[in-house]
Amino acid sequence: MNKIEAKKVNVFYGDKQALFDINMDIPERQVTALIGPSGCGKSTFLRCLNRMNDVIEICKVEGEIKINDYDINQKSTDVVRLREKIGMVFQKPNPFPKTLYENISYGPEIHGMAQSKDELDQIVEDSLKKAALWNEVKDRLHEPGTGLSGGQQQRLCIARAISVKPEVILMDEPCSALDPIATAQIEELIDELKKEHTIVIVTHSMSQAARVSQQTGFFHLGKLIEVGSTDKIFKNPNQQQTQDYITGRFG
Amino acid sequence: MTEKPHTVKSYEEQLQQLTNNLVIMGGNCETALGNSIKALCNNDNTIADTVINNDTVIDNFESQIEQEVVDLIALRQPMAIDLRETVTALKISSDLERIGDLAKNISKRTKLINNNLPYNLTQSIERVGAIVQKQLKLVLDSYTNRSPEIALDVWEKDEEVDNLTNLCMEEVIKYLKSGNENIEYGSHLLFVTKNIERIGDHVTNIAEQIYFLVKGSYLEGDRPKGSQPIVNGEK
Repeated sequence: MNKIEAKKVNVFYGDKQALFDINMDIPERQVTALIGPSGCGKSTFLRCLNRMNDVIEICKVEGEIKINDYDINQKSTDVVRLREKIGMVFQKPNPFPKTLYENISYGPEIHGMAQSKDELDQIVEDSLKKAALWNEVKDRLHEPGTGLSGGQQQRLCIARAISVKPEVILMDEPCSALDPIATAQIEELIDELKKEHTIVIVTHSMSQAARVSQQTGFFHLGKLIEVGSTDKIFKNPNQQQTQDYITGRFG
Repeated sequence: MTEKPHTVKSYEEQLQQLTNNLVIMGGNCETALGNSIKALCNNDNTIADTVINNDTVIDNFESQIEQEVVDLIALRQPMAIDLRETVTALKISSDLERIGDLAKNISKRTKLINNNLPYNLTQSIERVGAIVQKQLKLVLDSYTNRSPEIALDVWEKDEEVDNLTNLCMEEVIKYLKSGNENIEYGSHLLFVTKNIERIGDHVTNIAEQIYFLVKGSYLEGDRPKGSQPIVNGEK
């Protein structure tokens, strides 16, 4: 079943068109990877999925993006509510300059998800456990989140994203600043998270896309050249452009 | 699909080197097969010795190709067409190595026979040998040209090889039956015929690999089979 359906999505930054007629279905509880060279529009497309492009003044998004059959580009959409349902993890870990506990509790608190301190404690613990970080930090929950290693900080950000029980998690190059061990931990985490969440990940690492995703979309110069099962894309893609990119024949 | 070159030149060179080695290895196998049949039919031990001695060259190519494939996988992580190039090179080299061994075995038996054989027998063996040789040449051409069409032709022609092998087997069996003194040579000739037919099978394996290499999908259905074998073998 499709969680997200994008139809004829066009994005403009001022006069410059960044995405051209993107049609893409994103299946539920699977990992979809978006690959392509820098500037191809993959992050722009990712940011369309929770209307993060709204914060860029000159950015204009056209077309339809339906999540659970609801068009998120409607004027009446409550974007705060939308981003509660569609969380995001960025390239650089960006914990709040607060304690580990507060990093996680902030979201559930503002969304009124906990009725008591105990309930909030439970959400913090569950989120850290799901992000495979609990054992490493359970004795220092009231220390600053910025004191963690890069990999731990990124898992903290994932814990923060999942604390509000999002249905979709968007990840924009979540491992590009991490070492191979931290990367493997995040990839393992992605495998676990897909049991409950739909994940869309932008990555520059083709081997990472091949390892973690079930569906892959290849973007080039603002167009979605090909989308299909990851298996097919990396073994025998339909489009020559896709093959040239994944095999390292650039330019 | 003609591929444009890789951005990283050394990667391109490594893949090219792999293809080149496989083509040279294939050429060696063609020579070995041709010579092994020539040696048998002309009772020429010198040529038979050449085949036997040159088999190490073919074996060394197999080891070399295996090493190159492992290096490519470990260091380059090839994908899509490059992955198929790499994996099929490994499989094709292993079929070629077997072809070399079977040709060598024909030559070893030639030396044990060391006698002029009846004309009708050598003619039958030459006939099946020639078609297998042609098949081998075509399959190597299809690899060089990345032609799934030629590969498919080769694959479909295996039936003819089977039929000619069976005719040849019948000749050998007649020869065996015609006198006790023929038992020793006749037994060798049964193996020789079987070896040629096995080479034909390896050629069709290679054809299947080339089809997969270019198309990215496997040839479907059973390989066409000729008449029932006279002597049941490994097939």
